[in-house]
Amino acid sequence: MHPLGLYISVPFCRSKCTYCNFASGVFPASYMERYIGRLSEDLQSAAAFTPANTLDSIYLGGGTPSLLPPQLFTTLFRTIRDQFEVLQAAEITVECAPGQLPDDTLQAMLECGVNRISFGVQSFIDQEARATGRLHTRAVALADLRRVQQAGIARVNADLIAGLPYQTEQSWLESLQVLCETQVDHASIYMLEVDDDSRLGKEVLNGGARYFAPTVPSEDAVAEMYLSAIETLASAGWQQYEISNFARNRAESRHNKKYWQREPYLGLGVDAHSLLRNPDGAAVRFATTDDLEGYLQSPAWYDRRTLTQQEELEEAWFLGLRLNSGVSLRKLEAEFGTAAIAAFRSVINELLEDGLLLESNGSIQLTPHGRLLSNNVFERFLLSGVSA
Amino acid sequence: MDSKLIRNFAIIAHIDHGKSTLSDRLLELTGALTAREMQAQVLDAMDLERERGITIKAHAVRMMYPAKDGQTYQLNLIDTPGHVDFSYEVSRSLASCEGALLVVDASQGVEAQTLANAYLAINHGLEIIPVINKIDLPSADIPRTREMVEQTVGLDGNDAIPVSAKTGQGVPDILEAIVHRLPPPKGDPGAPLQALIFDSWFDAYRGVIVLARVVNGTLRKGAKIRLMSNGRVFNVESMGVLTPKPVEINELSAGEVGFFVATIKNVSDTKIGDTVTEDDRPADAPLPGFEDIKPMVFAGLYTVDSHEHTLLRDALEKLRLNDSSFFFEPESSAALGFGFRCGFLGLLHMEIIQERLEREFNLDLITTAPSVRYKVTMTDGTLLEVDNPSRWPDPSEIEQVEEPIITATILTNEEYVGGILKLVEEKRGRQKNFEYVSPTRVMLTYELPLNEIVLDFYDRLKSVSRGYASLDYHLSGTWISPMVKMDILVSGEPVDALSIIVHRDHAYERGRALVSKMRELIPRQQFEVAIQAAIGAKIVARETVSALRKNVLAKCYGGDISRKRKLLEKQKEGKKRMKRIGKVDIPQEAFLAVLKVGEESSR
Repeated sequence: MHPLGLYISVPFCRSKCTYCNFASGVFPASYMERYIGRLSEDLQSAAAFTPANTLDSIYLGGGTPSLLPPQLFTTLFRTIRDQFEVLQAAEITVECAPGQLPDDTLQAMLECGVNRISFGVQSFIDQEARATGRLHTRAVALADLRRVQQAGIARVNADLIAGLPYQTEQSWLESLQVLCETQVDHASIYMLEVDDDSRLGKEVLNGGARYFAPTVPSEDAVAEMYLSAIETLASAGWQQYEISNFARNRAESRHNKKYWQREPYLGLGVDAHSLLRNPDGAAVRFATTDDLEGYLQSPAWYDRRTLTQQEELEEAWFLGLRLNSGVSLRKLEAEFGTAAIAAFRSVINELLEDGLLLESNGSIQLTPHGRLLSNNVFERFLLSGVSA
Repeated sequence: MDSKLIRNFAIIAHIDHGKSTLSDRLLELTGALTAREMQAQVLDAMDLERERGITIKAHAVRMMYPAKDGQTYQLNLIDTPGHVDFSYEVSRSLASCEGALLVVDASQGVEAQTLANAYLAINHGLEIIPVINKIDLPSADIPRTREMVEQTVGLDGNDAIPVSAKTGQGVPDILEAIVHRLPPPKGDPGAPLQALIFDSWFDAYRGVIVLARVVNGTLRKGAKIRLMSNGRVFNVESMGVLTPKPVEINELSAGEVGFFVATIKNVSDTKIGDTVTEDDRPADAPLPGFEDIKPMVFAGLYTVDSHEHTLLRDALEKLRLNDSSFFFEPESSAALGFGFRCGFLGLLHMEIIQERLEREFNLDLITTAPSVRYKVTMTDGTLLEVDNPSRWPDPSEIEQVEEPIITATILTNEEYVGGILKLVEEKRGRQKNFEYVSPTRVMLTYELPLNEIVLDFYDRLKSVSRGYASLDYHLSGTWISPMVKMDILVSGEPVDALSIIVHRDHAYERGRALVSKMRELIPRQQFEVAIQAAIGAKIVARETVSALRKNVLAKCYGGDISRKRKLLEKQKEGKKRMKRIGKVDIPQEAFLAVLKVGEESSR
């Protein structure tokens, strides 16, 4: 049985960034203890219904998990280890905001076995970071990256976002350059999502002037930034392994890859998502509420759904293609049968012709152009129009 | 009933000037319905429609009114459609009456549509009672409205009755005026039957229901009747009047209005304006004014999903059961596949049919640019009628083209005249008359090509006059004009469904406006898309939709795959509503871009 990944969301932030479209926010400190209490209950009940009880990755995402007081870290990890067997080689990641990681918290993390930290840097240009409500400067971020590695956290990730207010091609290259000069071994390169779910996105859509929306680079400029990130990082010795993820020295995130390889993971906390498999092998997805008050008041699972064979096949395509290694036709045939895969041949050929896909060594991969238009590609792998 | 105690009348009003409120008030006052019943009645009708799929239209309501003179009168209110597309139907409704209420808004004054219908009524010899409505509004100006009635319609403004249909103030005076100022119907109940059909509709349970006004003779239950335009014979199974509840009766005599059912299966047999007579004792001649109405505006209708083609045919057949004034025949397009060429009375009529197809039959439709019917004389002397640009002959074989012309009456306030004149000049109009009907109101009469009206005239007129211009028109002949076919090429390939017929001298300008509008309407795609307008081999305009650079979801918060799936599904659904031509997805509205060229750019 495949070991599980465990995702725990910690929705607390010191301030809400303008681009943020997550279920996180600023809440009273008293909520943290209640929250960890609720998580402990969930860990116990989840341990009873998950088929595998070994974990090979734990990921605390946010929000800003580094805001949890040291003793709550200790409590949380004690419960995790009480309920699950955490493998010796498990990847244990905590997301932190630069400048918001006190020494005693870092110490507690190390004692809990945390071996990977992900920093939400977003930009090494102070004006850009400030404009979106980030509370740190380049100096603070660089100091933190060094500090955690010196303290013994070997693996460190930095997030960068292309498409922030005030960003230019030049300032973007500067951020990338600074990134390359650090010792971090992993980087996530995101593009600003302009949609109704964030304050900044909404403002851009409505043509408003708040949150420095008028200085947000155009979609086309962001596309260029993405391509230049791929180029810059490649020439600095990084390997891209997923649409948004890059690693040095093979330091790919095990947890991250679980999502794309459809390996089982359990998500706990507010707005967390799970994929488990039934005894018969069928994938089951479910989620928790995205409302913190609701979460604290009543434990409940939402959107529980056993995937059909067809949905699993669709996911195998639109998740698997996100990885640079692509989708292995042989593996797919083994899982779904030759006929099911043959049905996609004409779509694949068309996309190969359009230069969005390439085929190499029996696997289908996105081209760099295809990555930028990946939603256009993925859509073609949906067999049905709508699922219930 | 003694015909001296019958009054048949219509209500002429501009849209929003209060026709339906006034009708409701009259029904309430005559006790046809109490206020509470009126609500209940509406609900009943809707339930019935829902449960049994019956369409109930109260197009002629009988009210019994005990007048102050002690006599009880039978008042028949005959409804009239309120749009220029249906002016023939209006004329037949008016022909069924001896009088009309002319409702004018006390703040807005007389509008072109009202004026046109008022003239129509006067020409039919109807007695007109002007009613000034909405006097309860602070902006009401009764003396000025009286003046306007006098100046524009030529009626004595002092005869106008000030009312508020909303509060009921003054409405009883209208009932007295109907009795005393409108003449009773003439006609001989003993003469051979002549009844005028002014409306008909299809009921799934009873067949065609016909509304008619008996002019001479008597229509009896059980009678064998003959429709004079086509000679078809039917038996009257049942008949009645709407009060507005249907009430069965056994006969309708000269002067009366009611409905009958006569095993008629096809609504196209009961043409509006036709005369019903008795088969055994037919009238010498039909009543005057019958016209076989012809469609004026033509467009292709296609389903976005080509598999739904037969559903569209079934839907069109069902709609035709109730509306014989539109026609359709199969056509096919290289770009859109199988569809139907449809003819409509006008643009509004086209929109109504389109909306009903989409709403009631749940079809996703593509409508091609509306066209008019041209008379094309070929060099070999043959004459063609062409209403479909894809059937346009080779220019080298065309001797001359005649295009249909309308005479338009536009009523507006002085301050908008400048903008309107510019518009009608641009639309190739020729001035026939320019008249101040009051110190501030101007009536313009223009001859205009119908082609220009169906393209984007209404919306442009509305915008240059800020809504303060009203329009009425009728067909009035043809002009010989140098019309040419303009093709639209998408990524280098001509798309037949996008071709339009334009005046040669305006082709360049229209081509530019059209491709620029299409550039706005066609979303960015994987590849750059060129949109070109061409006359023959000559490209007259070009725009480019630049390639889509980025459509990617980078972040995956906590393994939320469902969100990604939903987004992809939504995107796929959106594409389904577009038509893929070659490798280009074209949204439905781009096929009607030509109707939107006057609208403000959104990009």
